[in-house]
Amino acid sequence: MHVYAFGSICRGDISVDSDIDLLAIVDGPDSRFNPEIFSVYTYGRIKELWDDGNPFAWHLALESRLVFSADQTDYLQALNKPKQYRNCDRDCDKFFRLFQKSHHSIMSSKKNRVFELSTVFLSVRNFASCYSLGIGVQPNFSRRSALKLGTRNAPISGDVYQILERARILSTRGYGAQLTEEEIESTLQNLPHIDTWMAALLEESKSNE
Amino acid sequence: MNEFNNRIEAQRQILQLVNRYGWAVEELFGLSAKGIGRWISVNRIDPKAALVELVQTASSKLFFLANKSQEQVSSEYRDASTEISLLTAAIESEVESLRHQAKGGVVG
Repeated sequence: MHVYAFGSICRGDISVDSDIDLLAIVDGPDSRFNPEIFSVYTYGRIKELWDDGNPFAWHLALESRLVFSADQTDYLQALNKPKQYRNCDRDCDKFFRLFQKSHHSIMSSKKNRVFELSTVFLSVRNFASCYSLGIGVQPNFSRRSALKLGTRNAPISGDVYQILERARILSTRGYGAQLTEEEIESTLQNLPHIDTWMAALLEESKSNE
Repeated sequence: MNEFNNRIEAQRQILQLVNRYGWAVEELFGLSAKGIGRWISVNRIDPKAALVELVQTASSKLFFLANKSQEQVSSEYRDASTEISLLTAAIESEVESLRHQAKGGVVG
């Protein structure tokens, strides 16, 4: 059994909203690990992610720290670097579709707006992380990855990004102040710009194949 | 559509059904354990209500109990589409029943 911390706490990227990401690598089903607290993977699956060059493997390779090792070894370090990431187009396209579905849903109904904005945040953040890894710029796995791409940053203000992030925290961690109607409406006005930005970066990613 | 996006879509459909009911304070914002906990708490819902149990089961099947997002880039999810369809239908039925009772003044 190996336990790692990863993500914001390893980057030193701490805020009042930070949680602590913990990874447990195990031989098989292990009821000691609460899935609400740990991301639980088998050794075999971690190796597959490494061999696939999966973004999560890169995230762990670049931003994890060993917390406990039953056999005194550092399993992830011994795997060396994951294979080159080759599915940037596919993954960016997946998150673009996810965004478009939420965009469509939120414009169609006044129900579920917090959930839809939460999904917009998920798609924008993961799109930017995959793009940063695939296009060969500095990989960025932070919650603010879409605002860490330099000239290719998402065309939204820090305030709007924060509203999306608050929606994500309400949806996944169940805390924070409810979004106001004004905040939601101002965020909705930015969704067409996000659509254009994602389409342009996806096109760029495809042309770099 | 890939499996991860399918699961987000399943979550969307369940939230749309649950939120048909006019909850006193807040909608259900997501199927994480803490999201469900907030919805129960702020709306003063009985934690043992049938709808709560159905929502929690659906969350578990969809692997959304955890609040993690990084690993969602990978495809770590088993196919549970049949079970989810049955749970979604049961949730719809339960919400309709609650709405009917509320119209009759049985549920506050």
